[in-house]
Amino acid sequence: MRFSALLRKELRESLPWMLLAAIIFLAIGGFFLREAQLYGIYDWSEMYFSSRPLTETYGLQSRRSPLQLIGPVLLLTSIGLGLVLGVRHFWIPYFTRTWPFLIHRSVDRKTIFWAKLAAAIITFLISVGAVWAAFYSYSCRPERFTMLPIKRVFIEGWLFVLLGLIVYLGTALTGLCNARWYTTKIFGLAFATVIICATIFEWRIGWAFAAIIIGAVILLSQIIDTISNREF
Amino acid sequence: MNLKNISKYVASSSKVIMTIIVFLFAVHILQIITIELSSEIYRMLTKTKPDRAAAEPAKQLSEAEKKLRRIHRSGKNFLPDGTIHLIYSHGRTPGRFDEPRKVQIYDVNDVLIWQGPESENPYEYLSWSDQRFRPYRYYGDLTERRMNELQMITPEFSQVIEIPVLAQDETVQVWRYLPAGDLFMGCRLDGSIIGFLSSTGFTRSKSEARPFGRFKFQSSWHSTGALEPTVLWQTRRRLYEINFHKRQVQLVFESPQANIKTVMLRDSRPIEDPQKPKKLYQKYRPTIRIVTEDDKHHLIMRNPEQKLTITFPDEKWSNNIHFAATEEDVFLIHYDSEIRPHKAHFKSHKLYKQLLSKYEGKSYKQWVELYKVDNQANLHLLNRYEWNVPSDFLPRRRKSFRLHVQHAATAFSSPLYDLAWFVLGPEFFYQRSRGNDFVSGSIQMISELRPVNSLWNWSLGLAMVGFAFWHGRPRQTSRGKLIFWLAFTLVFNLAGLLTYLALNHTTIIKCPVCGRRRGLIQVNCVRCGAEVPKPERRKTDLILNT
Repeated sequence: MRFSALLRKELRESLPWMLLAAIIFLAIGGFFLREAQLYGIYDWSEMYFSSRPLTETYGLQSRRSPLQLIGPVLLLTSIGLGLVLGVRHFWIPYFTRTWPFLIHRSVDRKTIFWAKLAAAIITFLISVGAVWAAFYSYSCRPERFTMLPIKRVFIEGWLFVLLGLIVYLGTALTGLCNARWYTTKIFGLAFATVIICATIFEWRIGWAFAAIIIGAVILLSQIIDTISNREF
Repeated sequence: MNLKNISKYVASSSKVIMTIIVFLFAVHILQIITIELSSEIYRMLTKTKPDRAAAEPAKQLSEAEKKLRRIHRSGKNFLPDGTIHLIYSHGRTPGRFDEPRKVQIYDVNDVLIWQGPESENPYEYLSWSDQRFRPYRYYGDLTERRMNELQMITPEFSQVIEIPVLAQDETVQVWRYLPAGDLFMGCRLDGSIIGFLSSTGFTRSKSEARPFGRFKFQSSWHSTGALEPTVLWQTRRRLYEINFHKRQVQLVFESPQANIKTVMLRDSRPIEDPQKPKKLYQKYRPTIRIVTEDDKHHLIMRNPEQKLTITFPDEKWSNNIHFAATEEDVFLIHYDSEIRPHKAHFKSHKLYKQLLSKYEGKSYKQWVELYKVDNQANLHLLNRYEWNVPSDFLPRRRKSFRLHVQHAATAFSSPLYDLAWFVLGPEFFYQRSRGNDFVSGSIQMISELRPVNSLWNWSLGLAMVGFAFWHGRPRQTSRGKLIFWLAFTLVFNLAGLLTYLALNHTTIIKCPVCGRRRGLIQVNCVRCGAEVPKPERRKTDLILNT
């Protein structure tokens, strides 16, 4: 009951950012998908065979999916949302001096953190995850694109969503840290950047998931320890 | 140990891991910036100085030296009967591209036997054109590295390999490589699935298909008159030929004992080279050469079908071996030299340096051998030619400014990299640093920035341990913790010291009893055991205490 009250409170605070991220992603992503559909650059046609000489060495064709241009938008939206939510949940209470009000409720500090994290996950699922799933299912219709994107692309999109959550955790750790800016305070975000690089420059999906999980465990354990022991 | 303690230990260890990772990357970035920036500044400064080398008069060569140079620069070509000719090319007059290239042909006794335009050369030498199809070099072939690049996640998502096929009813079918299943899936443009091509051949359902195996290399070509490519698909231990139009998969080669190292092709695909007469291609048999990790060369020849396996132990044979299969015979050419490093040299940097310094600035021997391969894969030496390479072809190495800076910068690297290099071996790093993904990049960074067991590295490490001890002793809360941090600093060098400072810096005061420095975290002074002094009582304390 107390958890759901806290969750509602966090969701209420996250709602504007949730809507903003969903609108931005939907508008820009939808525009790119429509362009890809109109110009048909992801289609094979008989024209491909007409100009080919009969004898030559052959380089295999590699193709990106019609969702190619949506990828950077998804990644940036996810990272941006992670940053904004992290700031909203863990930094703004310092400036508005509302941490003491929150901490002195009749719930333990970990419950407060779990409520914030749950609100962030729900926000990501709705504003980025659901829109991404909608884009993918739209591009999977043969009448729209002749060559459909493979399932791997769908999973890669979800990896980008998870990277947003890593940025959220990094921002949370940075926000909760008592150290100075030029010492270890920024390390939460620096570590999140390392995890992003380790994921997007990886070709094995399993390794990318492993990097995200390890990163999340390292950040989460420190956040829980910090929020349980620090003074507000 | 209760749950709270466990979470505390997990949190503190994860903090150490996170901090060391961030500092390792930060130190690496700084090292790279230092090396690149200093060498760039040095280059800019030295560029402004007059080029002394250009001002020096060209060294006059004696007739004997000129002859040595000519012999070394000449192409050593064999006639099918084993006769060696040395072909020295004069090249064209600068700017005269219409001028034919002129050559001089000498025999092994250095007697000029013919000279004139290259195209009018009356001799027909054995051609070793399988050099053209080495993987990692030939454009159009797909290597494992390129395949990994295509599958890299990237912000724009991974790419898919697709092979379009024009079916008999003039419709387009596309065969798509699925990396997760290691097989090809055929689709029509309406999205319906045709079937799967895998190691078991063509199957209608995915459950019947079996993966090809980990991809290594492919080469594709259009057969004469065909619109679709024939694909030679190499996995770790197998080589398949895939015909997408006929939906056929043929196992060309399988190595049950050792992994395939290289695949080279000769005339497996038609080549149009206007420089060479067409009869040359008809003379040689299509050949696939497969080199396995157990130093065996497998020749798969066609017209007629023939398979040969030859073993070359490393000590006697270099990697510079080429084959030519004519309609009558199979030939092998082998180039080697005195300065060829052996396997032991690659394992030890010191041995490799010793080998190089032995021949630096000195003349050394190089040779070429022609063998005939019989049907039982036995080698028969037909001819051998040996010559001296002039001393200036391997000049004395001067340590460049960049190397000096690199040596200084790597002194701050972790000695763990040397340990990894020693335990895993250079081959591990060479194989894994080929890719451009995050893991390969990190491995490459380790091999480039490892301290090479230098004295400077150990001295710096010990100095940092000394500093950490000077800093940590007054702040010590337990002896075990202090020893851990000293060992940590020694193992990770600069990154370790920075991590220690970031996580252990606390305020110190002067102990009122012994007068020495002590931290405020521990209750008792580490030297005299006195407790932290209590502040003097003030008037407000009465209010606060109640």
